Amino acid sequence: MENVRLIINFLGQLLPAINITLVVSVSSIILGSLLGLGLAAAKKSESAILRVISAVYVSVIRATPSIIMIFVVYYGMPLLFSGWFHVNIEGWNRMYFVIIALTLLFSAPVSEIMRSAYESVSKGQMEAGLMVGMTPFQTFYRILLPQAFVVALPNFANSVINLLKEGALTFTIGVVDMVAKAQMIVANNSGGYAWQTYCALALIYWVISLAIDKGVTLVEKSYQAKRKTIAA
Amino acid sequence: MSLNTDFMGKVAQTAIQGVPVTLQIVLVALLISLPIGCLFALIRIYRIKGLEQLVKLYVSFVRGTPIIAQILIVYSAFPSLLNMFIGKVAFSINPIYYAYIVFTLNSIATLTEVFRSALQTVDKGQMEAGLMVGMQPRQTFWRIIFPQALISALPNITNAALYLIKNSSLAFIMSVKDITAIAKTEAAFNYNFLEAYLVVWVYYLIICYSAEVIFYLLERYFSKFRRSTKKTTFFNWKPLSIRQPDLSADADLAKGGRDEHAQNRPFKKRL
Amino acid sequence: MLKIDHLKKGYEGNEILKGISLDVNKGDVISIIGPSGSGKTTLLRNITTLERADGGHIQFAGVDKDFQKLSSQDIQTIRRNVGFVFQNYNLFNNKTALQNITEGLIVARKVKKSEAEKIALKALERVGLSDRQNHYPSQLSGGQQQRVGIARAVALNPQVIFFDEPTSALDPELVGEVLKVMRDLAESGTTMVVVTHQMNFARHVSNKVIFMADGYIVEQGSPEEVFAHPSETRTKEFLTDILANV
Repeated sequence: MENVRLIINFLGQLLPAINITLVVSVSSIILGSLLGLGLAAAKKSESAILRVISAVYVSVIRATPSIIMIFVVYYGMPLLFSGWFHVNIEGWNRMYFVIIALTLLFSAPVSEIMRSAYESVSKGQMEAGLMVGMTPFQTFYRILLPQAFVVALPNFANSVINLLKEGALTFTIGVVDMVAKAQMIVANNSGGYAWQTYCALALIYWVISLAIDKGVTLVEKSYQAKRKTIAA
Repeated sequence: MSLNTDFMGKVAQTAIQGVPVTLQIVLVALLISLPIGCLFALIRIYRIKGLEQLVKLYVSFVRGTPIIAQILIVYSAFPSLLNMFIGKVAFSINPIYYAYIVFTLNSIATLTEVFRSALQTVDKGQMEAGLMVGMQPRQTFWRIIFPQALISALPNITNAALYLIKNSSLAFIMSVKDITAIAKTEAAFNYNFLEAYLVVWVYYLIICYSAEVIFYLLERYFSKFRRSTKKTTFFNWKPLSIRQPDLSADADLAKGGRDEHAQNRPFKKRL
Repeated sequence: MLKIDHLKKGYEGNEILKGISLDVNKGDVISIIGPSGSGKTTLLRNITTLERADGGHIQFAGVDKDFQKLSSQDIQTIRRNVGFVFQNYNLFNNKTALQNITEGLIVARKVKKSEAEKIALKALERVGLSDRQNHYPSQLSGGQQQRVGIARAVALNPQVIFFDEPTSALDPELVGEVLKVMRDLAESGTTMVVVTHQMNFARHVSNKVIFMADGYIVEQGSPEEVFAHPSETRTKEFLTDILANV
């Protein structure tokens, strides 16, 4: 019981730092999705070079530990910028480096999800759209996209949860997020109540993951319900 | 911008001593979690009362929380637990054991979902056919269903292994002397962090790609019964074609506990 | 030899089988015909204990009990004395054609491996597939897979073999080879119960035809009686419809 009270207490202390986690996650999701879209388009493009670049990129990211990506971006980008563009970015908010690293990591699986969702919608759908007189864009927007969206949703949510978890490494380059906050609390207690503190930390992430899961299930259900009403 | 290549050469030499440590963590975690993951999957498929809910909760927790949080919990909780049970001061324990514990616990959750979806891909007709030639359900399971499930699980086991290899790079937080930890220490002397991490990156790429090739060969060897006409040539050989694994398999995993409305009837029904 | 009395089966309040009685004598070749959804497949699955019937009595291979009271021992006895040929073949995907046949012999019947292989080869020869013994199911055509499925059932030398729409999943051009094997079996005196849509087989190979609809046996008798002089309107309608589409 004592432990439960402690955990609740720590939850209260950790939650204010959730802002960082949310800002980092949401920005990386948006930027990563855009980059992912570009990669998917490259993979489907006519140009063999673009296809190879996209494939190699995705394959390398798949084999890259997130912590290494964060470190390489954090230490490498300032060098790259000062060397090539003569711009000093060392004073940047460190959060930006994490966002860049996570964007790079997130874009790879997302590009694959988009590609396979697009491929899963049969070619006949496009042909049928054209045959009833819609333009290619109209067919894509009105017929293909909604179908691909449903296919991609569960995988996309899974990747978002992974991103959220990778974002917990933000603290490694000195940003004070929830993990860093938890470590500070433990340090302030001279190492006491450590596991209770970290359980509180884990709980917060768990709740967010479950919420994302639940949200996706609801959206999926509503789509299924729509289909049923049409069928009936 | 210029990289200190001499230093990179030096880090490459020292960090290689961390490779066996990384491999050791991965192998130990994988070997322990494979059978347990399989057991947990069976608990979920056969709906063993009580245990089923526990497994569900466990998998949900591990998959819903960052590995770093799991590391911190185990690293802070186990010493006092050990203190309680064996009264021995936990500081004398080699930190690699903590790494074994964390990564095994983590892998069990992943592999539970891998085996669960693999077992569900085996058609229930296979069980019925076994019963109709007079075999017991248990015999049919071990001789017919399990071997097929194992092979369809292989691509996802590969994913789980890659995930594990990549996560093991966090072992340095528990002061395990793995590749990352060694490179970090080297870099701290002259503040050559970028060079050190680039070297580490290359090592992880090599390890991950080797693991993919090994698993691919395993898959090819064991799935001889699946190949009908399609021949593998040098050009469509999977590691060379730089193809991402089947995402539909991931989709099953992503759904985790919430695909009770599974389209695939598991083989156990109607026994 | 096999006697079923008042077999009943329902799913969630929906009655599929409303009391079926059936007599199979040694050497019988019984064809069960009828519209889809009439319960033909369910009947086979319940007799062979793949599903548990809600009511009824079975007398077979020394077992003489109500379905609900069957012990696991009884179930094992029943299963060891029947053969089953599935609509989708259900060959063991991870076993070769030969191993598909030896598996049951070795594991369930405790036959020695060398002996089992001899039996299996003979069975394969009977269905004309000796040269495919080392092929995996994925390397065989549908018709070949179903012939292996039949060989698998035959090799166990059961008292009666049940066929659940054995040609329904096949491409039209492959139906013939499977029907030929079944005809050969029938002529060699094998006891068979066949659910089928192949009216020619029902009419010319079987010695008894059962027409089922809505969970009842509507009419049964010799092929001549059922096909040439059906007494029930349901049977007449069904036969007119199906023959019009041939």
